Amino acid sequence: MDTLWYVIFALLFAGYFALEGFTIGVGILLRLRPHAARDLQVAAIAPFVLAGEVWLVALAGLLFGVFPLLEGDLLSGMYPLVVALLLAWILRDAALWFRRRGDGPRWRPAWDVVLSAASLALAIVWGMVLVAIMRGFPGGFDPLGVAAGVGVALAYAFHGWTFATWRLAGHPAVDGASRRGRAVWLSALVAAAPALLTLAVVTPSLLDHMAPSATLNVIGFMVLPLTPVMIGAQVWVWRTFSRGPLPSFF
Amino acid sequence: MNVLDLARWQFALTGSLHFLFVLLTLGLAPLLAIMNTRYVLGRKPVLERMTRFWGQVYVINYALGVFTGLVMEFQFGLSWSGLSHYAGDVFGAPLAIETLGSFFLESTFLGLWIFGWNRLPRKLHLACIWLVTLTAYASAFWIMAANSFLQHPAGVVERGGRLALDDFGALLSNPTFVMALPHVFSAALWAGGSVLIGASAYHLFKKTPDKEFFTRSLRLGVVTAFIGSLLGVGFGYAQMGLVNEVQPDKWSGSALAGAGLGLMILIGHVLQLLTMFVLLPLLIGDALARWRFMHPLLMALAPLPFAAAICGWLAREEGRQPWLIYGRLRVADALTPGLSGAEIAWSFAGFVGVLGALAVIDYVLIARTVRRGPDQIALGAPDLAPELEPVGSL
Repeated sequence: MDTLWYVIFALLFAGYFALEGFTIGVGILLRLRPHAARDLQVAAIAPFVLAGEVWLVALAGLLFGVFPLLEGDLLSGMYPLVVALLLAWILRDAALWFRRRGDGPRWRPAWDVVLSAASLALAIVWGMVLVAIMRGFPGGFDPLGVAAGVGVALAYAFHGWTFATWRLAGHPAVDGASRRGRAVWLSALVAAAPALLTLAVVTPSLLDHMAPSATLNVIGFMVLPLTPVMIGAQVWVWRTFSRGPLPSFF
Repeated sequence: MNVLDLARWQFALTGSLHFLFVLLTLGLAPLLAIMNTRYVLGRKPVLERMTRFWGQVYVINYALGVFTGLVMEFQFGLSWSGLSHYAGDVFGAPLAIETLGSFFLESTFLGLWIFGWNRLPRKLHLACIWLVTLTAYASAFWIMAANSFLQHPAGVVERGGRLALDDFGALLSNPTFVMALPHVFSAALWAGGSVLIGASAYHLFKKTPDKEFFTRSLRLGVVTAFIGSLLGVGFGYAQMGLVNEVQPDKWSGSALAGAGLGLMILIGHVLQLLTMFVLLPLLIGDALARWRFMHPLLMALAPLPFAAAICGWLAREEGRQPWLIYGRLRVADALTPGLSGAEIAWSFAGFVGVLGALAVIDYVLIARTVRRGPDQIALGAPDLAPELEPVGSL
């Protein structure tokens, strides 16, 4: 049972980086693209955002349920970083939800500034968080964390551009470039690499801090029967939205 | 204010904001599912327009529910790490089940519903909104189960200074859970109905062209508010005896809890009487839709179920003080050790400032959606169809 929960945790962690990596990456690059290209770029990622970010929500819930002793120490040990992560995440999401809901010539460009800035901040804070986890959250300013943050931002941007050139293949919004599906798998691996590296470092600590079996059984009893539905719903999202016209709500 | 006060205020303000938005999410979801079902079965265009219009209100509101919910989820570990140290083996379970088994599915299916309007077969698209509704209520179930454990820690034993889960069934048959859950569900339906009533009254008062659209919406709103008020008040009183057994000084021990309870009951009774004896009978012959002099009153009443719901939460949570887990763990002892004044001051400013500003923007956008009416709805609008090269599958 312990191994199973560890594998689920690892899958959610790496999966979040692969699935949100490209939406954050497209956000980072958005301001560098001409105005005409931005709506299409956002429309390309939009149907995947809700289904992707929820991997991190699930990861945090799992942290509380399966590794309760770690949860408090981890989050409070990196207090300013976790607050910054949440604020960047919320502002990125708000920009997506709100950018096409208002009028006026300055409404959408203003939210696109928020979208790009918050996406970049989110990537950089992730790098700092991963380094803090690997070093046992020493606190204080860590230049290595910032360097890792730049690395995560570059990986996300690469993944985002690869995704956009695959989904919008040949369109002027991506300068007519086009990539194959195989390239997206590869860039997903690049985006997930920082999470996988962190996992490799913290595995012993995770396995040491599991909740007692009574708790794990209850969670497993309620959640494991639903995993086929969870996987099925995610596959359904990808099968529905990875080709054809672009739904345009965001 | 010291660190403890700030941490409590941060939790109370973000929690109240969260509840304002999830209340409407829970209230509107089943109404959308019903509208969507009637559209799919009967194909009447007005029902499709209703689903899209109220759906956009729902979706804009949903965003803030998520933002505030993220802060709630992480806040336990940030400022109340004493809770997971002492009771994480118990309290963490319903939260983990909620995020994995409910919210994960709710969010995925909602994405399919929002973006799949022109992509999915009608019946599968309809299935998505029913699954969103089901998982939203399942979420509320687990969150209420977790909250009820704080009110009355049933089903646990203390071993080595920590709580361990002893009886999962007792966690779910907790006397502070079984009546409070339907009470909250009813309050949500009441709030959802009340938003339909207020927004429909606005359009009927303005005599906008969509008379049939808003007459139907008003009718659905009144019936929903009636059901919500009847069950909400009923289950409210039904939990009194159970609460008095496990938290005898809940209302008398705290002035704020008593005041919150009193105000909630006052709003509840006045609204219930009005709904049952005035609004519901006036549905006969659609008198309520035609009597314009009533409409300003209906608009003014729309926020009241939300105010009552916040009062109810104040009563429930204030009445548990000074305990975080009643009789087991004090709030002061659950505060993260070593949390500094600067840390909590900055996070307080960040969370309350950002979420407060976004909440205001969100309400302005909902009001704008309502004002502009059913003809300018982005939800379900035609997809963008750029010329793309055929792409290979993944």
